[in-house]
Parts: sequence; structure tokens; C-alpha cells
Amino acid sequence: MSKESQLRALVNQKLIEMGERERLKELLRARLIECGWKDQLKAHCKDVIREKDSEHVTVEDLVAEITPKGRALVPDSVKKELLQRIRAFLAQHATL
Amino acid sequence: MKMEEMSLLGLDNTKLESIAHEIYSDLVEDACLGLCFEVHRAVKQGYFFLDETDIESMKDFEIVDQPGVDIFGEVYNQWKNKECVCPNCSRSIAASRFAPHLEKCLGMGRNSSRIANRRIASSNNVNKSESDQEDNDDLNDNDWSYGSEKRAKKRKSDKNPNSPRRSKSLKHKNGELGSNVNTDTFKYNYNSGIYYETLGPEELRSLLTTHCGVISEHTKRMCTRSLRCPQHTDEQRRTVRVFLLGPSALTLPEGDAVVENGSYETSDGPVLVSRLQWDGSSDISPSDSGSSKASTNNSETKKPKKKKSSLTVNSVTGGVGYGEERGGGFSNLQGGFVPSNRKKKNKIPTAPPSSTYDEMN
Repeated sequence: MSKESQLRALVNQKLIEMGERERLKELLRARLIECGWKDQLKAHCKDVIREKDSEHVTVEDLVAEITPKGRALVPDSVKKELLQRIRAFLAQHATL
Repeated sequence: MKMEEMSLLGLDNTKLESIAHEIYSDLVEDACLGLCFEVHRAVKQGYFFLDETDIESMKDFEIVDQPGVDIFGEVYNQWKNKECVCPNCSRSIAASRFAPHLEKCLGMGRNSSRIANRRIASSNNVNKSESDQEDNDDLNDNDWSYGSEKRAKKRKSDKNPNSPRRSKSLKHKNGELGSNVNTDTFKYNYNSGIYYETLGPEELRSLLTTHCGVISEHTKRMCTRSLRCPQHTDEQRRTVRVFLLGPSALTLPEGDAVVENGSYETSDGPVLVSRLQWDGSSDISPSDSGSSKASTNNSETKKPKKKKSSLTVNSVTGGVGYGEERGGGFSNLQGGFVPSNRKKKNKIPTAPPSSTYDEMN
């Protein structure tokens, strides 16, 4: 529905304007490194690269391989923390 | 682009959750992309698999921690003691001094030409000044002042008399310098100054006629600027003339009538120099105190022994009441102070006034 999408766009815009998106991003990155998600995924990368010709790996290949696995590997605690923060932000800035 | 006021309050939880989840997955995807880019770059740059080197190669590059050796295992100053043979002059030179030596030896560095020219000029001066001084006296007197004045004028425009830049302007005048025998006889150094010790009385006189001539405390050289050079006071110029030519020889052109006292001995010279070597900035005391004090000083100044005290007192009171006081020992000192009264005129005394003062005495 266009209204919803419009709403979503507005929310995103607000997130960016207030710098909250950057903060959330940094938070997520820190948490993922802490919990070893990054190293796990890097190891997976190595396998992928070794399978394919290591000289001719493209970004698209990597993305295609890595992203679904990455999404799945995010630990629950991290997911919950982030969702909590997002909800808090939405509640705080309910009136757009 | 808010066309209507939008509010999240009206939305139910599920919608809010879906929005939150969307935001969350966007963030996660960003993180994954970031990682992909990082890895891809590492692969292309070749450092992605570095941590998988075998142990043997790792040992080759281990950090060295022994004394006398840097972390790569190299002895750090083993080339200091080595000596190289210069291909130009075939001398054995220390390694750390080899590059500067080559510069000078081959004449290709920045300073090498400057230093060489300086050396040539000074050696020329030394050779010629010894041989030509007596022969070319007359010639020198005529041409010298013109040449040096030209030089003096040019030098005025230089920023700093002691900076290395001087040698540059002088290099261009090398033609002049070489052809002008006169200039050499006056031991003209690149550091622009003249040593009074090597000059004869004739030359000194002619030099002092056209130049300031004040001897610098630091370098012992005479100032070659004009008679009105702002760096030195008239007082200093008088002092120098007395010092170099003797008190009776204050016959320099231009100047107020100043007393000369024959009673002063030439040994005053150094004493005067030291005593009067101040900026001449002492203010003239009011005529009342001046005249009263001056009269008492007259008797003192005549005696050589008390010269020191008299000199200092005179210095304070000397300027004013010049015409009224009896000349006596005032001569040189007062002559020195006259310019402070009448600033623009020159300090040099002439002979006639001394006779009047002798009469007064």
C-alpha cells in the first residue's frame, strides 16, 4: 500500500537524519565482531574463494554466496537487541 | 515531502513490527555487504591468505631481539666506519662524509661554488693588498672612493649584511672586483667590512672621509656604509676617527665647529673608544645644570689622570651651553655631542675653532 511505503520511507528518512541509522549500524557491527560472526563468515568466504578461481572472484559472486549465510548466522541476542532499539526509536518519534 | 501528517500511533503492532524488521534486515544486509567488499579487496590485493603461511616462512620473518642488531637482524651502523675512495681526488673518505665531500670535490653542490668564490676572493685580496699598498696609493685614493661608494650604495639595499645572499650580488660584480685593483687593497671581504689593522694611514683617512668607518665590536671590521649610515651614531664615528687617526687628525669634511685639544694624548684613543662607546643617546641636560657643572669640570679634564671621571661627567652635561664653556678638555667629547643637538649635521671638527678655545683657556 502506498501509504505504508510512504510511511516506511519517512521513517527511514528520519532515522538517517537523526543519525540513528549510523549508530545502529555501528552497534550491529560491534556486536557481530564480538560474537565471532565475522570470523565465521570470513572462513566461509575462504572456502568459496578456494572453490572458485581465487583470481577471478567478483563481488557479485561473494555477495550471492555470503549474504544469505550471513543473515542466518546472526545470533539471536544481537537480533533482539537491535530490534529493541529500533522499536524504541519508533516509539520515541511516533509523530512524523 | 509530507503531504499529510503521518503518525505511527495509529498503526497496530504488527505493522510497527514489520517496519522494525525491515529496518533490521536492511542493517544486517549492510553489514554483510561491508564484509564482502573487505574480503574481495583483500583477495585482489593478495593479503587475504597471509595468515596461512607455513611455519618455516614465518620463522624467516620473525622479529629479531638481539643487542646490536635491529629487528630485521641488520647491524645498523656498520657502514659508518667504512671508508670510500673518492674517484675525483683519490682520497680515502669516511662513508658518512662521502656525499658532502663529493659535492665540494666535484663543484656541483649548492654551496660549493659560493665557498670556492669566497676563497678565491680572499686569497686575491691577501696577495694584492700586500704588494700594491705602497705603489698604488694615489691611484687608490682617486678611484677607490668612487668604486666603494658604488659598492656601499648597492650594499645598502641588501637586507642583511651577514646573510649568504651577499655573496650572490658580489659574484655578479666579480668583473668589477677583478679589474679594480683598488678594491683588493682594502681587503674587501664578502662579509663586507674592512679590517682597519691592515690599512695605512693614507687609506684610513680616505676611507674615513667617505665612509662611516665605525668599528664593530663583534667583527672588528669598519663599517663601509656612508657617512650618514643609520646604524652608527656620529659619536661613534668621531670615536673611531680619533682612535685610528689620532686626536689631532680630526680633519674630516663636513661637520660643525668642534674644539680640538692638543693636550690630549694619543693614548686616549682606546680609553675614548671604551668610554664613549655608547649610543650617544644621552639627553642634553638643561643649560643651568650644564653650565654650572661644566665649569667645575674644566680643571679636571685637563689632567690626564682624571680623564675617566671627567669623560663620564662631560658626557652627561656636555651638550648644552657649548659656546659658553671653556673648551679645555671638552673638545672631543663635546664635539661628539653636538650632533645630538643638531642632529643632521656631521660630527667632524675642524681646525679653526680649536684656536679660539685655546685662547679662552
